[in-house]
Amino acid sequence: MEATFAVLLALALALSSAAPALAQPDTLEKIKSSGVLTIGTRTGSPPFAYINKNNEWVGFSIDLVEMLVKPSVEKAVGRSIKIEKKESTPPTRIPLLTNNSVDLIAGTMTDTPQRRESVDFSLTFFYTGAQFLVKKGSPIKGINDIAGKRIAAQQGATNAKILREKYPQAQLREFPDQPAAFQALVQGQVDAYTNDGIQLYGLKAKAPNPNDWEVVGDFYSEEPYGMAMRKGDTKFKAAVDAGFKNGFESGKYFEIYDKWFGPKGELPYPMTPQVKAYLLKQIGK
Amino acid sequence: MNYTFKWSVLWTGESGRWLLQGLLTTLELSALAWVLAVALGILAGALRTVRFTPLRWAATSYVEFFRNVPLLVWMFFWYFGVPPLLPRGIQDWLFNHGAEFWAGMLALGVYHGARISEVIRSGIQSIPRTQFEASVAMGLTTFQSYRLIILPVALRLIVPPATNESLNLLKNSSVALTISVAELTFQTRQIETYTARAIEALTAGTLIYLVLCLSIATIMAKVERRYAIPGLIARVGPAA
Repeated sequence: MEATFAVLLALALALSSAAPALAQPDTLEKIKSSGVLTIGTRTGSPPFAYINKNNEWVGFSIDLVEMLVKPSVEKAVGRSIKIEKKESTPPTRIPLLTNNSVDLIAGTMTDTPQRRESVDFSLTFFYTGAQFLVKKGSPIKGINDIAGKRIAAQQGATNAKILREKYPQAQLREFPDQPAAFQALVQGQVDAYTNDGIQLYGLKAKAPNPNDWEVVGDFYSEEPYGMAMRKGDTKFKAAVDAGFKNGFESGKYFEIYDKWFGPKGELPYPMTPQVKAYLLKQIGK
Repeated sequence: MNYTFKWSVLWTGESGRWLLQGLLTTLELSALAWVLAVALGILAGALRTVRFTPLRWAATSYVEFFRNVPLLVWMFFWYFGVPPLLPRGIQDWLFNHGAEFWAGMLALGVYHGARISEVIRSGIQSIPRTQFEASVAMGLTTFQSYRLIILPVALRLIVPPATNESLNLLKNSSVALTISVAELTFQTRQIETYTARAIEALTAGTLIYLVLCLSIATIMAKVERRYAIPGLIARVGPAA
C-alpha cells in the first residue's frame, strides 16, 4: 500500500514538475527566506544517523551538518538558521531532493557516477567499503565464499548491484531497510548480510549480543560518502563544501570523527592513514 | 524544479527485462493469492450464514482477526514469525526455495480472503431466506443448497465489490517487497538504483499497475453483464 502510494506520488510529481522545469534551483535564497535548512537523513543507520536510546535523532552525519555545514550556510545567507530533519531512505532520497522536500541528503549516501547525473555531491566525508556481517563461526569469510549462499543486502545500495553483476552464484535477497535485513540474518533466512563495513560495525554494536556477530572480508567495493544536493546549485554547493573544507583545515572534522569513532566513541573505528590522506587530498593537502 | 527527464533509462540496459520480471512475479503472486483468497472467502462467507453456531463463530474469528491487522504485519508474520516454528532442515530448504514468495502469497491470500468473505456474506444475505427453505424442502442437504442454489446466485450478485477487492489485492502485492520479493515495485526501485532516475522508474511502475487494473476491471465488467440473472438484478450497467 505504501509502495503503491509512493508510485502515485511520483507520477503526480512527474506531471506537476514538467511545467516549471526551467527555474534554476537556488537553495540559499530559499534558506534565507525560511531560515530553515532541511536535511534528509536516516533513523536506523548508527552511528551516522539514528534514533538513540533517549529517543534523540543523532549521529555523525547530523553532527557534521550542525557543526560544519550550518555555520558556513549561515555565513552565506547572513542570518541564523535552523536544521530540520526528515527521514530519507535509498529509494526516496533523490526524489525528495528534486521535489524540494529536503535541501541536503546527510546520511550514508555513496557518491557514484550514475548518481552524479541526477544530483551534486559535497566533498567526501567518510570512506568505507562493502563487507559481510555473519554469525560468529560462519563458513563465510569474504566475497569468495558466497557462492550458493543466501546473502541479504539493502535495496538501493551500491553493493547489491555489485553482487548481482559480479557474483550471480550468490542468492541475493534485498530488503528495504537495515532492521529487516538484520532480522533475516538473526533468524537464518539468510547466511550473511552485506553492506558498507562501517554500517555493519554499527549494527553489530547495537545488536542485543554484539559478540555473536562478526564483520568479515576485505572491502569488495569503494564507498565514499558525500552529502547530496540538487544538481546545478553551485552557490549552495560552494557553501556546503566551504563548511567541510573549514572542518578539515581547522581539525574540527577530526574532533567530530573522534567523538563518534574514537576509542571512547559510539563505535571505535580508527581512521587509517590512507583514509585521512584521501580526505585531505580533496582540499589540496 | 530543475529536473530533466530521461525516459530512455526505461528501455536501455536491463530495465525492460527487470520490469517484465517484476510484472510476471506480481501476476504470479497475485493470481495464486487470489485463488487462495476466493477459496477462503467463499468458505468463511458461507459459514458465517449457517445455523450451526461453532462454525459461524470460527468463520467470524478468522475474518475479524485477519482483516483487522495491517497487511504489512502479516507479511512479517509469515516470513519471520512462522519459519522458526519448523525444524531447522525444513527452514533451510524453504529459505533456499523462495520462502519469501510463499510467505508473501499466504499473507496476501489469507488477508484478502477475510475481506472477500464479507463481500460474499453480503451476497448470500441478500438472497431471501425462502430460497434456502425452498431448496431444503425439495430434499437438498444444506451443503447442496449452498452449492447449487445459494452460492451461484450470490457470486453473480457480488461481482462489482469482488472486482474491487481483486484490484486491491493486486496493488497490495507490492507490500511483499518488504520481505524481499522481487515484484514490480521492487524492480522499479532496482532501476532507480542503477540509473538514479526515480521519477521515470516509478512512473513506469505506475502505468503498468494502471493498465493491469484497468484490464481486469474491463474483463470483470464483461463478466458481470454476461452472468447477470435477468429479472433478479434489475439494472445491469450499460455496455461501456
